[in-house]
Amino acid sequence: MLLGLIFATIRISTPLIFAALGGLLTFQAGMLNIALDGFMLIGAFTAIWIASVTGSLALGILAAAFAGTLTALLFGLFNLKLKAHIFIAGIAVNLLASGLTALLLKGILNQNGVFSSSSIPTFPRIDIPGISSIPILRETVNGHTLLVYVAFLLIPVVSYALYHTKWGLRVRSVGEAEDAALTAGVPVFWLKLQTMLLSGVLCGIGGAYLSLGYVSLFSRDMTNDRGLIAMAALFFARGDPARTAVVAVLFGAAQAVTVQLQQSAGIAPQLIQTIPYLVTVVALILVGIQTSRAFGAHRGERFDV
Amino acid sequence: MSAEPRLLSRWLRANWQGVSRPVLALAAAFLAGGLLVWALGSNPFTTYAQLLRGGLDGWPNIAVTLQATTPLVFTGLAVAFAFRGGLWNIGVEGQMLFGALAAGIVGYAVHLPAPLHVIASLAAAAIAGSLWAAIPGLLRAYLNVNELVLSIMLNSIALYLTSFVASRLLKAPGPTNKLPDILPTAQLGQFTMYSQLNAGFFIAIALVIIVLAFNTLTRRGFEFKMLGLSPRFAHYGGLRVRSSMVQVMLISGAIAGLGGAEQTLGVYRAYFDGFSPGYGFDGIAVAMLSNNHPLGVLASAFLFGALNSGSSVLQMTTNVTKDLVKVLQAIVILMLAAQYFGLFRFRLGRPRSAAAAPELTQVSELSQVTPANEGS
Repeated sequence: MLLGLIFATIRISTPLIFAALGGLLTFQAGMLNIALDGFMLIGAFTAIWIASVTGSLALGILAAAFAGTLTALLFGLFNLKLKAHIFIAGIAVNLLASGLTALLLKGILNQNGVFSSSSIPTFPRIDIPGISSIPILRETVNGHTLLVYVAFLLIPVVSYALYHTKWGLRVRSVGEAEDAALTAGVPVFWLKLQTMLLSGVLCGIGGAYLSLGYVSLFSRDMTNDRGLIAMAALFFARGDPARTAVVAVLFGAAQAVTVQLQQSAGIAPQLIQTIPYLVTVVALILVGIQTSRAFGAHRGERFDV
Repeated sequence: MSAEPRLLSRWLRANWQGVSRPVLALAAAFLAGGLLVWALGSNPFTTYAQLLRGGLDGWPNIAVTLQATTPLVFTGLAVAFAFRGGLWNIGVEGQMLFGALAAGIVGYAVHLPAPLHVIASLAAAAIAGSLWAAIPGLLRAYLNVNELVLSIMLNSIALYLTSFVASRLLKAPGPTNKLPDILPTAQLGQFTMYSQLNAGFFIAIALVIIVLAFNTLTRRGFEFKMLGLSPRFAHYGGLRVRSSMVQVMLISGAIAGLGGAEQTLGVYRAYFDGFSPGYGFDGIAVAMLSNNHPLGVLASAFLFGALNSGSSVLQMTTNVTKDLVKVLQAIVILMLAAQYFGLFRFRLGRPRSAAAAPELTQVSELSQVTPANEGS
């Protein structure tokens, strides 16, 4: 039971980790990206569409990454070039993704709510040679599909890129002090756009995992706010890759527990499902208290958040 | 008589931004939507014609359109009221859910004579919406917490909490997740056999008029506008900025809560779990299209209401679904959020440094752009 729970947690956390890693790249560049959900949904749809047509998982994943990137490009240009408010544009992109995928679900795949087909290829489970013989790891870490391992391997990769490369240094400088970065000659616009596009790639692959790996179908709004939960995770962890991943896994665990509880009744699942959101609210309040202390709550009125 | 065209042209010149931007956004949305429909193998012109006919042709269709319009008037008005006061109240969906829930509870659990019962249920809804809006309002005003991210999170929390109440805590016996039916004394009367159009529609119209009068005739209405245009200026002008912010959120939440009550008391006659297809988010599109003007809210709510009801007809005859309207709304929001789309906003030959000027939106200091001053 416990081992099964850990196995499920790893599975459930995977899309959250993809999205959260994508989101934290833009977060480090000073943009809180709430369109993660939209990127993922577009990715999930494209992945299953292309995979079912071509019969190729690789093409499905590639197409999802590409579609996620295109969506990110649209969002990035509206925010960075046309100065649309990032949250309002983000809400619009999420709405667009939800409407567009539902429209295409009917228009291209001729299905009303759910698309599933025998022509969708499935991921093989991977046996890791060393681990498949170790008792506890055998039941938990072993036997997942490819994208699960990719997600967890991406955590150190993103961390390295952010903290040990020149590119990462510049990205973080943009996030911390954009004016200073601009003065120092850092190409702020390009760096921001790059993080946004990478965010689209990662979320697109996360979406592909959702429709091709986690389940083998596409349903309307199937991301179920996962992008928002991922954003909650990275916001709570202040954009640090390792800590973000830990929080994402914890959220995943909460969800895995919910699934188990639903089967055995007991505590209302709705209350557990509020946890990620409540955690974000608390994080927001803590940040608010810190900043208002730093500025002296009564020394001056600060109205611009 | 001869003064009228001159008045009109003067009004147009003064309000050019306010008129041209929504028209351009709508044109862009319909163009993109048309291309999409065409790509899916339908004729965009006949599709749009069918959409309009399904929404507006004959009283039965209009009755459905008006029913679809009503919740959008409430949510659009709530969003627009907050936007005008400089607050990004994206949490209207959650405030509406709590309003609907409160109306549903008072509607079935309290026993009162007919007119009082309706009033009590409406009041409960307004208060519940207000209280839920008070959370982001207070935190924004006193702790500088970004109300936008907060209200997005609160939307999801509201969805799960109301669902918990409707499916566990106060669930009516039976297979559906709903509260017990409200008593007949709490019902808002329906008056047509073609749709669930009810007296709530007139409450919506009345609210539009009240907000219009408040905005244009009262001192407080002007102060809220000042708050939206520049909180700093409002502060120097002697306005108590923080408590005003909270007040704007409370009123916005109350309007949203009443919108929920209309659904519970007028349309469904009980609180149903998950009754809202996202009226709160539609309200954002409505408010942005309206330029935060109450009459604009009415017009854009009617437009989206007609499109929504027309799209259900469309769905039966072609392979284009209701979701086309969602796509149109999204494009409208996106276009209106962009600041450099109005005809006179493109400054050609803008210096390069200005083009690359840093965005105001940062993670630590989220934004100085307030909804009311962004567009103007």
